[in-house]
Formats: sequence, C-alpha cells, structure tokens
Amino acid sequence: MSESLVHNVLVPFVKGLLTVILVATAAGILTWIERRGLGRLQIRKGPNRVGPAGFFQWIADVVKLVFKEDVVPSRAEKVIHLLGPLLLFMPAVVVLGLVPWGPELTLFGVTTPLHAAADVNVALLLILAVSSIGVYGIILAGWSSNSKYPLLGGLRSAAQLISYEVPMGFAVVAAVLMAGSLSMVEIIEAQKEAGVWFVFPGLVAFFLYFVSGVAETNRTPFDLPEAESELVGGFHTEYSGFRWAIFFMSEYGNMISIGAVATTLFFGGWLRPFPNVAWLSFLDVVPAFFWFAGKVFLFLLVYIWFRATFPRYRFDQLMALGWKALIPISLGNLFLVALAALWGAAGLKVLGAVLVLLVAAGLVAAWRRPARASVTTRMAAEKVEVRA
Amino acid sequence: MSFLDRVLLLDIFAGLRVTARHAGRKADTIEYPEQSKEPSERFRGMFRLDEERCIKCTLCAIECPINIIYIDWHTEKTPEGKAEKKLDRFDLDMKRCMFCGLCEEACPTNPRSIWLATKTYELGVYERDEALYLDKAKLTKWDGNVKPYPGVDPDKAPANPAKEK
Repeated sequence: MSESLVHNVLVPFVKGLLTVILVATAAGILTWIERRGLGRLQIRKGPNRVGPAGFFQWIADVVKLVFKEDVVPSRAEKVIHLLGPLLLFMPAVVVLGLVPWGPELTLFGVTTPLHAAADVNVALLLILAVSSIGVYGIILAGWSSNSKYPLLGGLRSAAQLISYEVPMGFAVVAAVLMAGSLSMVEIIEAQKEAGVWFVFPGLVAFFLYFVSGVAETNRTPFDLPEAESELVGGFHTEYSGFRWAIFFMSEYGNMISIGAVATTLFFGGWLRPFPNVAWLSFLDVVPAFFWFAGKVFLFLLVYIWFRATFPRYRFDQLMALGWKALIPISLGNLFLVALAALWGAAGLKVLGAVLVLLVAAGLVAAWRRPARASVTTRMAAEKVEVRA
Repeated sequence: MSFLDRVLLLDIFAGLRVTARHAGRKADTIEYPEQSKEPSERFRGMFRLDEERCIKCTLCAIECPINIIYIDWHTEKTPEGKAEKKLDRFDLDMKRCMFCGLCEEACPTNPRSIWLATKTYELGVYERDEALYLDKAKLTKWDGNVKPYPGVDPDKAPANPAKEK
C-alpha cells in the first residue's frame, strides 16, 4: 500500500471509526457510571443486578432499545423526524474529532497526530459552528413530531441554547486571547509555554464556559427542554427505540465533547500538571492520552455531581441568569483578560495569581465570619408563627 | 445574601458539599426478596384470631365499616349444664380489608381475640379468592402464608442493613 493511501485514507478512516465507537461506548458506560454515582449520592444502590456491580446494565439497555419497536407518529414529518437525532449526535462526534487527544502516536510504523480529524488551524471556530448545529436537531425533532410537548421542549431548547452560546463564545474568546491562536494544538502549546494552565488567568472564563456547557448539554439544573415533570420527555417525547437511544447517546456525547474542549482550553489538554516543572517529570510515565482522558472524566463526574445536587431552574430564571448575569460577567472578564494578554505571559501569570488570591481571601473571609443562625432561631427572633 | 455569598456562590458549594458528604454513606436499600424489613411495633399486618378467647359477641362484625366479617355460631350444653356458644364460621374477606383496626378496638375480651399485630406484610398471592378469603382455620393458624421467593438461596442472600441496626 502506498504511503499517501495510508495517510490520506486508511488512517483517517480508522481514527474516525474509533471516535464514533468511542463516543457510543463511552455514552453507554457513562449511563452506568451516572446511575451508580447518583445512587451513591442519594444513599441508594443504583443498578446492581446485571453483571458485577450492575456493569452490564448499559448493554442490556442498549439491547432492549435496539429491539424495541421504532414508532413514528402517523402525522409526523417523516424525513425530518429521522434527521433530528442525527443532527444532534453528529456535532458531538465531530467536536470530539477536532480536539487533540495527545501529541503524536506511532503505531504499526505509522506516525500520526492523535486527532480523529486534522489539526485545523481554526478548530475552535469550527467547533463552535458545528456544535451550534445541535440546536437544529432539537428544534426539528420537536417540531417534526407534530405534538404539543415536543414542540414546547424544542422551542425552550432553542431559546436556551442560543442564549447560552453567547457567554460560551465569550469564554472561548478569552482562552483564544490568552493563547493567541484558534488551533487546539497551539492553545495547548501556549499553555506549556506560559507555564500555567489557563484556568488560573481564565478562572472566570472557565466558570462561564462550564456553566454554559451544562446549559448547552441540557443537563440539570438546566434540563428544561426535557423537563420530565412538565413536558413528559420534551423534544424526544415521540421518539422510541433506537432513535431515542441516539438522543440519549448524543446527550452523553455532548457532555464528553464539552468536557474535552474545556480540558483543552483551560486545563492544558494532554499536558501533565505543571508541564514546565522539571522535577515533576516522573509524571510523564502516564501517557499523554490518559492525562487528557482523566481530566475529561473528572469533568463528567462533576456533571453527575451537579445533577445529584441542584433542582431545575425555572425558565425565566434561566433566561435571567444567562442574559443578566453570565453575559455581562463574560464581557467584563474579556476586558480583563485582554489587558493581561496585551502584557504577555507575565500578565497572564499576574492575572491568575490575583484571581486565585482573591478567591482564597474571599473563602477565608467567608470561613471566619460568624455562622448564620439556624432557621428556627431566626424565626423565633422574627416572631414568625408556625401553624401547627 | 451577603456580598461574599453572591460573588463566590457559597450556597452552591454548600449544596455540593452536602451531596458529596452523602457519597460516603452506606446505601439504605433493602433488596426485597433476599432481604426483608422488620416492621415497627405498631405495624398493622395480617389478622389473627384466637378462638379460645372469642366470646362470639359479633361486635367486630358490627363495627366493621364495610362488613367483611361474617360470624356464625351455635349453642351447646356443657357437662355442667351451661349454654356455650360454639364458633361455626369466622370469615374475613381480606381483599377488601383496609386495615383500619376498628374490629380490634371493638373486641371486648382482654387480651383481644382478634388482632392485626402479626408483622406479616407479605400478602401477595396468585389466586385472590382462595388466598384472601380467610376462614376460621386460616385465621387461627396464621403464621404467614408466603412461600420463599423462587430462586433465592437464603444462605447466599446479602446482609440485611435494616437488621444490623
């Protein structure tokens, strides 16, 4: 086989295939992790019947979903009904393909950078563009079902995703300003050169990215599009069988891709902690890919932790948070980061140090203030009468 | 909320802390067929009738709000020449019972001759009419009619968290 055939056809094909398989499998395993994790946090057990610690539960679920009848509502828009889940699933895979998983890998005599797709020099722009296609998936799925609840869910989702794309974009721009590049690989290299992960100077930007990421993936506390208690299943009410499974996979796939992008932008991608400190070089024993995967996994755990903790926002609260809090904060943060980036690498370090110190000082101040009186004491002080 | 609370989102972190602390706790789940729950002292379970104590006054049948108790008796002469009521039937339609306990309260004997205090709650059956229409024989000899769940080996069942407490 000729060299160019291997590099231009075989390697991309294998990598693309691996990415799709990885997203699908990881989504399945994540459902198990999520159900077990939620069980732990809620003092119950979660699935524990199928296989050791219930691990094969997700396989049983997949098998069930594949063999389930695929019902399409009779008055639905058939083609678009089919297109909806695919439009939602595709961006998750593509985004994960654009994120570098490691520097370079030599396997079977072929050396290739560890991306699924190429190292695009405007990768971040492409990621934002592709991931916004997911909105079409949701709203088309909601509309084509020809039913009230999916339509409401789809509309909610469209409003929510468009609102939260703005602070997310600004947060990403902050990272771009710090790195001076739109290429994912160069952003990671810039973090290595600056000697500091961009979470520290970009503390606010990271927070904004994470919160809007939760909103973009429709996870609790922002899971309004599929609010079970209000909208039955939201946009996927009329879906069943494997089409529904694709929605499910794309939710988890989107979680993974948001986590992967956050890792790349703010946590140094495949870099080990403190990539410039020489005496920590024993950490290089762990291959770069596992640093990357470990960081993404931590993100996913935090997602699950959030789901176990927070109740759902009301829709007007969600919009108020997006437009009145996150967008102004992101603009102010952009200004700060731009100033620091103008100064150069030293500016980033100073900004990072200042932010970390401010947060630490605030935490200490909060820790040292007098404890708030309990509810009963306050009610007694305010003479609130409790009806028996 | 104070300024610090608002800027540092302390309430959010307090919430996360609460759930994180629960992660270390042991699950409270009772895995039913293998493990079973010990009901509390005041639990109203299956009926039990003591024929020796019963004076056939039918107060329980009268008190029952949905009339599911049917009592029948005849009189016999004892060797001393006294008349004594003998219980013929004491039927109780369990499938309509709502466990209100009024029959138990109405019973004039001390100790009571009908009571719900057996801690049996496994009342699931396959044939309603046979299993839940209780006659005298079933009510007096009641010690749980539930067969063990098929496929459960009691020796291999996991430890019961409720019983350890």
